[in-house]
Amino acid sequence: MSIYGSYDQVLPKILETTRMRIQQLNDQVVAADQPKLYEHLIGRVKEPASMEEKCRRKGYPVTTESALRRCRDAVGLRIVCNFIDDIDRCLTQLRQADWCTIVKEKDYITNAKPNGYRSYHLILDEETPYTDIEGQNPGHFFVEIQLRTIAMDSWASLEHEMKYKHDIKDPERISRELKHCADQLASCDVQMQTIRQLIHEDDEGMGQ
Amino acid sequence: MRILVAEDEQQLAHVLATAMRTKGYQVDVVGDGQAAVDRAQENPYDVIILDIMMPVKTGLEALKEIRASGDSTYVMMLTAMGEEDDRVNGLDAGADDYLTKPFSLKELLARLRSRERRSEEFNRDVIQFGDLTLNSNDQSLESHNSISLTRKESRLLQYLILNAGKSLTAEELVNHVWSDEEADAEDVWINISYLRQKLQSIRSAVTIVGEKGGPFSIEQAVTSK
Repeated sequence: MSIYGSYDQVLPKILETTRMRIQQLNDQVVAADQPKLYEHLIGRVKEPASMEEKCRRKGYPVTTESALRRCRDAVGLRIVCNFIDDIDRCLTQLRQADWCTIVKEKDYITNAKPNGYRSYHLILDEETPYTDIEGQNPGHFFVEIQLRTIAMDSWASLEHEMKYKHDIKDPERISRELKHCADQLASCDVQMQTIRQLIHEDDEGMGQ
Repeated sequence: MRILVAEDEQQLAHVLATAMRTKGYQVDVVGDGQAAVDRAQENPYDVIILDIMMPVKTGLEALKEIRASGDSTYVMMLTAMGEEDDRVNGLDAGADDYLTKPFSLKELLARLRSRERRSEEFNRDVIQFGDLTLNSNDQSLESHNSISLTRKESRLLQYLILNAGKSLTAEELVNHVWSDEEADAEDVWINISYLRQKLQSIRSAVTIVGEKGGPFSIEQAVTSK
């Protein structure tokens, strides 16, 4: 039995439900003749082993309750957008959605991490047709959402590679280069967004 | 600073070199124009002092050759009193300054100090303005957050900051930021737009004020219009 207990089978369904709901948000926006919200959407249920490791690291008891309630990223989705303002449009949609409430927001885009990491993190409290650990139905589950641009996503992949490679010769130099690269990608993201705004300057509805 | 002195009057060359070395400068002395060209090709100098009347090649000929090779080192000409044409030709050929003989050592040293100030203090790589740090060295802008700038954005922002509080027309910005390149008010506007978004993305309180077409000015805090 994994740390998720009887929720082993439920969590993938919650992931699918959330994925579908986000796709629906996008479909509505596209149906209203607005540009698509995101470029792609990926998701995962955190591996039971890494969830157990996380609970131990945080000093929580290794229980299903810890995995679903104290930790709030058992189910996670990443929304990867073309442009920075698409992230804002996604946020607007999620804030208005009736199937979830946002319980936590971390803006690592305006407050980039010192290593250069940029991304917007949300924790949703999502209402689902599945019974939750308190026995309620509709049940409530936490879902972590990460929003970033394609550039931020590629950078994060590269940083991830570095983090898990332990025999790098000159890690300080590589970290410095990565930070510089993050700033250049941020620069391109901002420039692309500016160009997009200049193109649509006279349009109604694109807004700032 | 490393200085090259080209002067065929040995007595004068010696006095100049001694005085400059006393002030801590590294000095090389040559006695003709060709030697000056050769040395300038071999070594990186901060200042080259060229006498006009020299054997083998005149200072003017040497200057033209040095400039033709793409060398933009600061050049000071030593001209004879009353030779207005020498001074004009020298400046037109690419000299940056001149002294008329006989000149005072005190004045020469003061000019070298002035030169040093210009290159070291006024061309600072890092400028602070409000909550901003602009590093023109690696073209980065830092406040709450950091972001890279393009060369144009970096020069534009630097010019705006160095002239903070002044209203700058699009034409002035084109002339100072793009210098010899083709550019118009539209280029200025696009780059102002980039900078505004970048200032916003690093959450700086600094704002660039101005409508499309200019004039523009930079301010430390948001002001209501």
